[in-house]
Amino acid sequence: MDFAVIGTAAAEALTLASFIGIGGGVLLGYIVGVIPGLSRSVAISIAIPMTFYMSPYIAISFLIGLSKGTAAGSAVSAILLNAPGEASSAATALDGYPMAKQGKPKTALQVGLIASVMGDILATIILIFVAIPFARVALLFGPYEMAAILAFALVFIAGLSGGSIFKGLAAGGLGIILGTVGLDNQTGLPRLTFGYTELMDGMPLIAVAIGTLALSEMFIQSEKLRYERGTMSVAMKKDPNDRITWPIFKSILPTILRGTGVGTFVGALPGLGPSVGSFMSYGMTVKASKDPDSFGKGNPKGIAAAESADNAVIPAALIPLFGLGIPGNVSAALLIGAFAIHGITVGPLLLRDSPELLYSIFAGMILASVIMLALGWFGLQFFAQITRVPPHVVIPIVIFFCLAGMMLQGYGTFGLIILMGFALLGYLMKKFDYSFVTFLVAFIITPMLELNLRQSIILSRGNWAILLDRPIALFFIACTAVALIALIYRTFQTDKAAAGAPVSE
Amino acid sequence: MKTTFAAILGATMLTAPIAYADDWPTRPLTMVIGFAPGGSTDIQGRVLANVMEQYLGQPVNVVNQPGGGSAVAFTRLMNVEPDGYTFLFGGTTALTFTPIITPVEYEIDDFEYLASVALGQNAIVTSAEQPFTTFDEIIEYGRENQMTYAQQTPLDEAIIGAIAEQEGLDLAIVPTGGGGGMAPLVLGREVDFAYSGGTHAQYTPTGEMVVAAFMSAERSPFYPEVPTLMELGYDFAIEDYRSIIVPQGVPEDVKDRLISAAEFASESETFINITEGNTFFPVVFIGQEEMETSVRRIRAATEEVMAE
Repeated sequence: MDFAVIGTAAAEALTLASFIGIGGGVLLGYIVGVIPGLSRSVAISIAIPMTFYMSPYIAISFLIGLSKGTAAGSAVSAILLNAPGEASSAATALDGYPMAKQGKPKTALQVGLIASVMGDILATIILIFVAIPFARVALLFGPYEMAAILAFALVFIAGLSGGSIFKGLAAGGLGIILGTVGLDNQTGLPRLTFGYTELMDGMPLIAVAIGTLALSEMFIQSEKLRYERGTMSVAMKKDPNDRITWPIFKSILPTILRGTGVGTFVGALPGLGPSVGSFMSYGMTVKASKDPDSFGKGNPKGIAAAESADNAVIPAALIPLFGLGIPGNVSAALLIGAFAIHGITVGPLLLRDSPELLYSIFAGMILASVIMLALGWFGLQFFAQITRVPPHVVIPIVIFFCLAGMMLQGYGTFGLIILMGFALLGYLMKKFDYSFVTFLVAFIITPMLELNLRQSIILSRGNWAILLDRPIALFFIACTAVALIALIYRTFQTDKAAAGAPVSE
Repeated sequence: MKTTFAAILGATMLTAPIAYADDWPTRPLTMVIGFAPGGSTDIQGRVLANVMEQYLGQPVNVVNQPGGGSAVAFTRLMNVEPDGYTFLFGGTTALTFTPIITPVEYEIDDFEYLASVALGQNAIVTSAEQPFTTFDEIIEYGRENQMTYAQQTPLDEAIIGAIAEQEGLDLAIVPTGGGGGMAPLVLGREVDFAYSGGTHAQYTPTGEMVVAAFMSAERSPFYPEVPTLMELGYDFAIEDYRSIIVPQGVPEDVKDRLISAAEFASESETFINITEGNTFFPVVFIGQEEMETSVRRIRAATEEVMAE
C-alpha cells in the first residue's frame, strides 16, 4: 500500500465539499430509511442523476453514504412503528418494537444506531485491508455452494418463527409458490403470470415487503386504535434511565461482532443480500443465547444482531465489486452504473489505474459512518418525535408513504392492487399467527435457490459424486440437515408439551 | 367514456403547440428504459438523455421500467399518448425476438423506430484460464470433452444448441439470469463458455475474460481480431440496435426533432466517450427508414432460427 497515495486520498476526503456531499447523502438516506415504503434501491436510482454534477469521488461517496443512511434509518420506523421499510429491518422490529413499548424507545434506537455504525465501520475496515486481495475467494462459491447456503438459510430462518410446523410450512410454501412467479430463467416462458405483463419479472418485491411488513401493520394498529384507543402509542417520556449504558453496550458487543461477521460473509457472496444477512445474524444470536425465550420480547441483543449485519452487508457487497467487478447486490449493481456514467469501470483495474480515487472512496466511507453516528445520535431526539404524534395521524401518513413508494416503482394501479393484496395477506397472517417472516424469507430466497439448484443439477449432469469435490457445499448441506432435524424434533417436543399429559390410546 | 373524452381533449390541448416545430418540446420529456438502473442500456440512456437535453432545451427525465427484458416497458409505451414526450431507449430484441416465444400484447407495427445510436454487442466469452480461447478451440475441445455453456436468452441457447448438434458436442446449457450472474460462473470456471450481451466489457480489460466470437453480424472495432460466427461458417447472427422508439401516431415534425436530437447525441463527445470507452458499444447513427426495414428483417430471421 502506497502511503503517499493514502495521504492524498485522505486529504481529499476531508474537504468541505466532500463533507457536504457525503453528509447530504447520509441525511437523505436516513430520511428515506425512516419513511416506510421508500427503499434503498429507489433512493439510489433517484439519486444517480443528482451525481452528474459532482466529482466522481464525491458522487460515489454520496451514493454509498446514501445506502448506509437507509440501512441505519430503516431501524427507526421498525423500532418505533413496527413498520419496517425494508425486509432487512424486519428482524430489527422483532425486538425493537417490544422494547420501545416497554418504555425504552430511546435505548432501542441507540442500540440500533450503535450496532449499525459499528457493523458499518468494521465491515469497511475489513473491506479495505483484508477483503479486496482475497475477493477471488468468492469465486469458490459456485452454484453448488450457493444452493446449499440458500437451502440452509431457508430452513434456519424458517426455524426461528417457532409455533406450529404446519403453519410454518404453509407460510413458507406460499412464499415459495409466489417466488416462482415470472418468466422462467431458461426458456423465457411465463409461469403463474396469468397473462399480466407486469408479473413477468415476478411478484414485485417492494409490494410483497411493504405490504406484508408495513401496510398490514398499519391495518393491525388501526384496528387496535378502534378498541384500545390511547394505550397503543409508544410515548417518548423524559425518562433519565432510558438510554444506553455501559453494561448494555458490553452485553451487546459480542452480538455486534458476530453480526458484522455474518453480514460481511453474506455481503461478500454475490446475490444473497441484506435480508438474509440480518435474519441469519438474528437467528445465530438466538441460538447462541443462554436465554432464547427472551428474544421477541425486547432483548437489545436482537436489535444489535439485526442492525449490525444489515449495515455490514453494504460495505461487504463492495468486496466482489472492487475485487472482481461483480456486484454483491442490487444497490452495488446500481453503483456500477453510477461509476460508468462518470467514465470509470469498476473492478480490479480501479486499484491499479486510479488508486487515489479508490482510497478516497474508502476514506469517504469511513467519514460517512462517522457522520451517520453524529447525525443519528443528535437526530434521535428529532426522529423519535414521531412517537409523540397520535396514532390516528401517524397511521394515514404511513399508509400514504407505502402507497407512494409503490407508485415510484412504476407499476401503476396494478402495483397498488398487488400491494393491497399483500397487505391483506400480511394482516391475516398476523391475525392467525402464521409467520410472515418465514413467508417473506421463502419468497426472497426461492428465485436464487431455484436458479442455483437448477445450475447445479445441469452442470453435474445429475451426478451426486460431484459434491465430494465440493467440501463447502457438503458442509452447508450437513448444516441444513441438522437444522431440519432440530426443527422437527422441537415441533415434536412442543406438541407433546402442548398435549400435557400423554394421551393414551 | 367521459374520461376518455377528457383525456383526448387534454391531449389535443397539450399537443396543439406542435404546429410550430421549433418550439417543440415545451415541457420536460420522459425517456423510458426497459431495464433496471446500472446495466449498459441504462448507462447509455442516461448519458443520451443528458445530451438530448442540450439539443432540445427541455429536461429529459429517465424512468426505469424493468421487466421481461423490456416487454413491460413496451407494453406501457404502446399505451402512452403518441405526442413524442414519452419515448423509449433500448435494444430491439424485445420486438424481434420476445413476441415469438412470449405472449405479449404489442407487435412490431405498434411502434416507430426513429433512430439507432449504438450497435448491440453479443459475444461468446470464456475465462482466460481455460485451455481454449478461440471459438474453434472450444469446438475442438468439445469434440473430446463434455462441455457446459451459460445462456441468457432462449435465442442464444437455440443458436449454440444448433451449433453443438452440428459439431457433435456433448453440451449442458445452464440459465444465468443475466450478465451479473454470468460473470461469476465464467470467472470461477463453473462453465466452459457463455453468452454475454455486453457485460464482457467490464472483464476483458483485466485479461480475465476473453471473447471467443461475436454473435453480431459484424466484428467489434474494440476486439478487431475476434471473428463473428458468420465468418466461422455458422449461419447465425443476433443483431440488436440501441434505438429511440415511439408509439405509432407521433406527428412528423416531432419525430424529426427527436431524430435530429439523436443524431446530435451520436456526434457528441460525451456520449461517444462513455458508450465506446466504458460499455464498448460502437456508436453508429442509423436513420428511421433503415431501422424500420432492419427490425422486420431481423424478426423474420429470428423466427427461422427459433422454428428449428
